Amino acid sequence: MMSSVINRVLALIFLWGVTTVVSAQTPEFIIEIREHLFYPSELKIPAGQKVKLIIYNRDATPEEFESYELNREKVIVGNSQGIVFIGPLKPGEYPFFGEFNPKTAQGKIIVE
Amino acid sequence: MTSAVIIVLREVLEAMLLICMLMASSSAMKLTLRWLVPALVAGLGGALAYAVFLESISMSFEGFGQEIINSSLLVATMLLLAAHNFFVIRYLNSPTSIANDSCLLVFVLVGAAALGITREGSEIYLYAYSYGLVAGDETSVLAGGAIGAGIGLSLGTFIYYGLKTLTPRHCLVLSCGIALIIGAGMTSQAALFLAQADILPATEPLWDSSALLRESSLLGELLQAAIGYEASPTLVQISLHLGAVLLSIAAMVLGYFSLAGNRKTA
Repeated sequence: MMSSVINRVLALIFLWGVTTVVSAQTPEFIIEIREHLFYPSELKIPAGQKVKLIIYNRDATPEEFESYELNREKVIVGNSQGIVFIGPLKPGEYPFFGEFNPKTAQGKIIVE
Repeated sequence: MTSAVIIVLREVLEAMLLICMLMASSSAMKLTLRWLVPALVAGLGGALAYAVFLESISMSFEGFGQEIINSSLLVATMLLLAAHNFFVIRYLNSPTSIANDSCLLVFVLVGAAALGITREGSEIYLYAYSYGLVAGDETSVLAGGAIGAGIGLSLGTFIYYGLKTLTPRHCLVLSCGIALIIGAGMTSQAALFLAQADILPATEPLWDSSALLRESSLLGELLQAAIGYEASPTLVQISLHLGAVLLSIAAMVLGYFSLAGNRKTA
């Protein structure tokens, strides 16, 4: 009786360890905003996997990273950075834009 | 200037639909519209505070303060809209109940409208302040913003008087339907924010209807504001959406039966 409880607890700890290692392996990608433009404006990420996007805003003005296709929106205050998790996604192209400069600040995530 | 029109219009439109529906339903219940004053004051104050403290908000919760606050505001609005439906059904069932309920009902109306203004207003302020005032582009940002706000306000007026042409009963039933749909849409938007912050599990979208109707199209935008249209939703999002619909229905059923005991004894 007691040993089965201990076994279960050990199994849980093991599982927790595995998931922690998996989440630590979330691939990271960086996008920069300079002069109201995204660098790189095309970013390739792997399909079927959660990905961590780190967006640096090097401008003094705020920008909103927004994408209908990725279902994401986040204001990045001037001279700061923000994290946006995206995916898992099917292969394809997912455009994004800066809401405050929609005509120039455009880019896309290419999932393959 | 056209970007300013679109940016401001997008934000105004979402808040307008909510506020005009609440205005129509409160006047159908013969309440005065005086609750708009505290709602506007609280909403604009909230929007200003949110925009001014955005930097520290963004840094909080390990960089996910925006997502936490936005999703809390959205879920709180959904709960207030469900409470609105509870009181409306109670009123339809027994119009005299309003005498007891009006105090709480006004709190619900003020809260829902103020939360809507806070969310949408903060983005407008942030944009107008940094791109108009600081960047020295006042004329085009302010003119564009005024046009956008003007279009939004006219559409709101149209919705308000449109609802007012109905009989009070129909107006209230329709308002409950709108509140249910807006609340569910907000809940699924909250789910997106929580997935963005990696708080809710991320899964692949169940379907993609963007070939039929793009979210970025005008109709897509309108449907997104009105019914929370989503071209590629995830399972978590749909479950929470349905959960909000059920909660609102439960609130209405509760409202319907809450006075049944009183009526029998009377």
